[in-house]
Amino acid sequence: MTTLRRYLAERLAAAVVTLLGVSLIVFLMVRVLPGDPARVIAGVLASEEEVGRLRSQLELDRSLPVQYGSFLLRLARGNLGVSARTSEPVTREVLGRLPRTVELAVVSSAIATAIGIAAGVAAAACPYSIVDYLLSVVTLSGVSMPVYWLGLVLIIVFAIDLNWLPAAGAEEPASIVLPALTLGAFSMALIARMTRSSVLEVLGQDYVRTARAKGLAERAVLWRHALGNALVPIITAVGLQFGALLGGAVLTESVFGWPGLGLLLIDSIFARDYPVVQGIVLTFSALFTLTNLLVDLLYAYVDPRIHYG
Amino acid sequence: MTRRQHRWGRGPGAVAAGLLVGVALGAGPARAATFRIAVGIDPDTMDPVQTTTTTVGNLVDYTVETLTTIDEAGRILPLLAEGWTVSADGRQYTFKLHPGVRFHDGSPFDAKAVKWNFDRLIDPAVRVPIRAAYPIEKTDVVDPLTVRITLKHPYAAFLGALSSTTSGLLSPASAVAPGNDYKNYVHIVGTGPYTLAERRKGESLTFARYPAYWGRPTSYESVVVRIVPEAATRESLLLAGQVDLIILPPLADVPALQRNPALKVLLAPSDRTIFVAINTRKPLLSDRRVRQALNYAVDKAAIVKNVLFGAADPMDAPMASTLFGYCRTGAYAHDPTRAKTLLAQAGITPGTRLQLLHPTGRYVQDKEAAQAIAGYLREVGLVVELQTMDWPSYVATISTPAERNTTQLHFLGWAPPFLDASQQALQFLSTYAPPGGLATSFYANPEVDRLILAAEQELSPDRRRSLYCEASKQVWEDAPWVFLWVQRFPIVYSAKVTDVGSLPNEKFAAVHARPAR
Repeated sequence: MTTLRRYLAERLAAAVVTLLGVSLIVFLMVRVLPGDPARVIAGVLASEEEVGRLRSQLELDRSLPVQYGSFLLRLARGNLGVSARTSEPVTREVLGRLPRTVELAVVSSAIATAIGIAAGVAAAACPYSIVDYLLSVVTLSGVSMPVYWLGLVLIIVFAIDLNWLPAAGAEEPASIVLPALTLGAFSMALIARMTRSSVLEVLGQDYVRTARAKGLAERAVLWRHALGNALVPIITAVGLQFGALLGGAVLTESVFGWPGLGLLLIDSIFARDYPVVQGIVLTFSALFTLTNLLVDLLYAYVDPRIHYG
Repeated sequence: MTRRQHRWGRGPGAVAAGLLVGVALGAGPARAATFRIAVGIDPDTMDPVQTTTTTVGNLVDYTVETLTTIDEAGRILPLLAEGWTVSADGRQYTFKLHPGVRFHDGSPFDAKAVKWNFDRLIDPAVRVPIRAAYPIEKTDVVDPLTVRITLKHPYAAFLGALSSTTSGLLSPASAVAPGNDYKNYVHIVGTGPYTLAERRKGESLTFARYPAYWGRPTSYESVVVRIVPEAATRESLLLAGQVDLIILPPLADVPALQRNPALKVLLAPSDRTIFVAINTRKPLLSDRRVRQALNYAVDKAAIVKNVLFGAADPMDAPMASTLFGYCRTGAYAHDPTRAKTLLAQAGITPGTRLQLLHPTGRYVQDKEAAQAIAGYLREVGLVVELQTMDWPSYVATISTPAERNTTQLHFLGWAPPFLDASQQALQFLSTYAPPGGLATSFYANPEVDRLILAAEQELSPDRRRSLYCEASKQVWEDAPWVFLWVQRFPIVYSAKVTDVGSLPNEKFAAVHARPAR
């Protein structure tokens, strides 16, 4: 336990350093982008005098080190600054949208993992059969289908033709179904393919032959012995995919009008709203780091041979 | 209960999906009393003085009203002001306010409230991007229902400026509402027919009918505006009966929507001109004959028909016909032969290279239109290289001062903040060229400058109109733009709804919408 605590403390300390690094990179990256945030936010009809006034209000007339120092000082107090576009605290903007993004990522991830693992195991159970080929086609389609296209097809079928589900928005609980399926399609396919190869590899090992020789039912061999030992790479894929789902929901959010952070990030980048871009990227980084840590901890749970320290 | 909710209750696929994601089904909002709208942008602000986009203004207008307003033809009408007088020198406007009006918080709408709002509008501490349209020196309370506004200089377009959402009147008492402060109003409290009941950022705004509204009563108990950035999704929502009105559907679908008997399509006249600004400071383009040749080379009518699906009208003056001060100046008909002759006269040889910069997704079909324009210019012997970039970079590039500006041609749109030629004329004023403003063709004609400045201060509407007309003719002749088209603003709504209209400044007029009987 002590070892685990020390491991956790080290990883958390490393996460803080990582986030500081991320904050500096994002700070510099957004400022390297061409375009004057004050002009973009004030609009093309604003006079140069008003744009200049806004530039000063946004502290854009200060030197970069002063701007970064002031950003870090605010960050240390848990303050991400004020949105240049909406004049509202970035923390409020981000926290207002974060639950929607996490909700979508969790539901998509759950769908992708459940269906992906089931399909992968089914394909591995009867390799090079019709089922395997069929699943290969489906998963390849899942990997290669553009989110925009898939989203619109789902809307046309389930919202317009069948009229079963809301076409967009997040007004009702059912609203999440279509965006979650769309967002999860790629991960689902990836997890299925990863599961198939991982389980297939394990199925060829001696202990599986032993289990079968002992007369264990094929189902037990497959789900308990084979899948159990094939889980480490699958968990890695699920963890990485969860991180990607958090940050990669931009198109899905746009197609379905899902009010998450991805959409806000895009709006903020196009408006050169530096404080919000920094706030969102830091939030995504923190979540990604945390997910990775959880995945690492899960390794020890699914594979007792793995120890920390 | 709508058809969809009903089906959702029974549909096995939907139930399975619901179980899969582990969500509980909730009852949807009551539909009968709610008018549902889908727009593409989430308001960056609801504070009238900070607004810069007409769609945001359109939403703010549900709650906040102005002293004057416009009708569907763009004529200025009284709203919160019953009437007004203008001093002989054109600097003092005295408004008689509508009696018996109260803000939604119960506080009285009176001259003190108006003064507070206009003092705030000119306060440099408050962000007001379009402040230049309000050259107010001071505002005085004459009596509780009379207010006098003194301008820094005569400004004939002032009544038009007062119809813009920027000058919307808030309750001074609402400064203490949670989230509000003097510099930034989040919870707007006005005198309009609806109160802003709820705002879910990035998701929706809900307006509730204000029962004690002083004006014409409205039909719907509430109005829900959903934020749906994707045009195809907005269209899907309307087709699925999940909203009643959308703006800006995918343009290519407009003909199909027009054929759908369940829908009504309005291609509303607007004030947005779309053009290719020509950098008149570049040696190649400083010759008027070359600029006229570019105008003759492009077949605007064909692009409107084939690229914009009829949702625009070719320009016949340097401004939209919805603006005060418009007069028809002519047309550059598609005439490639004449274009080639003019180019030859100006010494431009076939194969001359030109760069055309265009945004992608900023204006309706901008990329496609730019490609078509490049095609027409190639037909007269010019080799056009197309370039695009994201909007912030784009604005930075085109607004670089002349000596460092590398652009030759760039695709742009201009929608004046209110329907007056003065706001379009900025584009042809030499002092408004970058860095002084955004007249990015760097056009300079002292005679045009003189006419525009004279018109701005002229109090006689007829003389003003004539000054703008004269300036327009000169601008048209000088051709600092490839004059393209005036965009139409597509609004699509359910045939189950009636009394939906439009204003000529890209706003839908649906406050008095009601179910069709």
